[in-house]
Amino acid sequence: MDNAAMPDPENVPVRIEVTDGASIPDPKDPRIITAWSISLFGAILTLVLLCFCIPDRYVPIVKKLPEGIWITFQVTVFSIIFTIPLGCMVGLGRLSRFRPLNLLVSTYVEVIRGIPLLVQLFYIYYGMSKLLNVPAKVAAVVSLTFCYGAYMGEVFRAGISAIPKGQTEAARSLGFNRVQTMWYIILPQAWRTILPPVGNECIALLKDTSLISILAVPDLLRVAREHASTSFHYFETYTVVAIFFLIITLILSKCVSIMELRLSHYDRR
Amino acid sequence: MTVAKPIISMRGVSKFFGQMAALNNVSLDVYPGEKVVIIGPSGSGKSTLLRSINRLESVDYGSIFVDGYDVRAENAKINAIREELGMVFQSFNLFPHMTVLRNLTLAPVKLRKTPKAEADAQAMKLLSKVDIRDKAHMYPAMLSGGQQQRVAIARALAMNPKIMLFDEPTSALDPETTGEVLDVMVTLAKEGMTMVVVTHEMGFAREVADRMVFMDQGEILEEGTPGHFFTSPQHPRLKKFMQQIL
Repeated sequence: MDNAAMPDPENVPVRIEVTDGASIPDPKDPRIITAWSISLFGAILTLVLLCFCIPDRYVPIVKKLPEGIWITFQVTVFSIIFTIPLGCMVGLGRLSRFRPLNLLVSTYVEVIRGIPLLVQLFYIYYGMSKLLNVPAKVAAVVSLTFCYGAYMGEVFRAGISAIPKGQTEAARSLGFNRVQTMWYIILPQAWRTILPPVGNECIALLKDTSLISILAVPDLLRVAREHASTSFHYFETYTVVAIFFLIITLILSKCVSIMELRLSHYDRR
Repeated sequence: MTVAKPIISMRGVSKFFGQMAALNNVSLDVYPGEKVVIIGPSGSGKSTLLRSINRLESVDYGSIFVDGYDVRAENAKINAIREELGMVFQSFNLFPHMTVLRNLTLAPVKLRKTPKAEADAQAMKLLSKVDIRDKAHMYPAMLSGGQQQRVAIARALAMNPKIMLFDEPTSALDPETTGEVLDVMVTLAKEGMTMVVVTHEMGFAREVADRMVFMDQGEILEEGTPGHFFTSPQHPRLKKFMQQIL
């Protein structure tokens, strides 16, 4: 029949490219040997070989580090849980026609983006401990959330703006109000568009958790530093840290890729 | 028709983009059950006129009443008014992240609190009516343009509107699929739906319209029956337009 419908420019999925984080593997790439698989299996193989060939140096490190991984994991997960809703609100605020809100949110984004994360970490950590006595872990999550909320807000803003105006008009003409239109029509579509960059930000966040080792939080890097300073095996220890981070990052990027595929069911026949 | 009150009543409606008048002192009445077809060259303001009826486009001057409600009022229950006005767009604007069925049931379920089973049954009836029942569980991207537009008509009908507005519904379609969509619109017209249609399809206008309206440069230059338009147009702009389009 008339299935040769013209390509509808409004339905071409938008891809927002960002370069921090990690490269998200193409979910539709059927090949087995890719940059992703080489990196992952290369990292695992290197680790295994090192432990096998020089066990007296590497095995203690590999046994020691998992306690730090757990902290890194906790901080990452909590930061992501708070960052995504914050980012969504920031994105909506940036698009708001209510000028005071728009200004407030834009200023937040401007300020946060202009200050290095490490400086923010120090500032919030010491600022918070002056006012109320919070554990370092909490200060770390707060700082990371504040910082990444700003970046995530920009991703949300881009994703929401990319949804064609006709979608809003169709929803409004059915009788949906602004909030309902955003909730039922715009955000679900925007979410699909921004999933790769959001995943990317999450990976960047994971990597930046290494900065919290400066705040006496016993994360992966901190534990490694302590181990290195007692064993004097600096090179070996940081080799393992690098490999650990790489493996975690690669697994995360694959997860994002799988989620992206699962959400893309409706735009291809 | 003479005793009935107009269901849409526009008086002295103007809209400006800077110096340019998109609508210039336009007045138009539409009576219940009437089919009004608006024609005119592109940029003549006919889409703006149509979109101002449900306030997708705000206007600067004049009054617009729909079913007794003031559309332009600051405190107008615009969402309630819009529920009575089904709208069909040139670019379909189906919700791509929902199945065809969900496109139809979303508004009744969320806005009218219709139970889901009832909304589904009603939606399937409408899909049969536009002859696309077998695609209910597909996503819009899997359908052809003509099929998508028929779904869009069904979606608008799912809210049981009193009036249907069509904004160049076939302009994005090829001639073959245009036919499927026009057939659905003709059926709808025969059932007595009040319709305001912006289109270039003169065959449709001749068959269905009770009244035709010719717009140019934001003004209504001539109004009349299709017979009048096709046989004895008066305004020189309309004469030229009809010659070119036929």
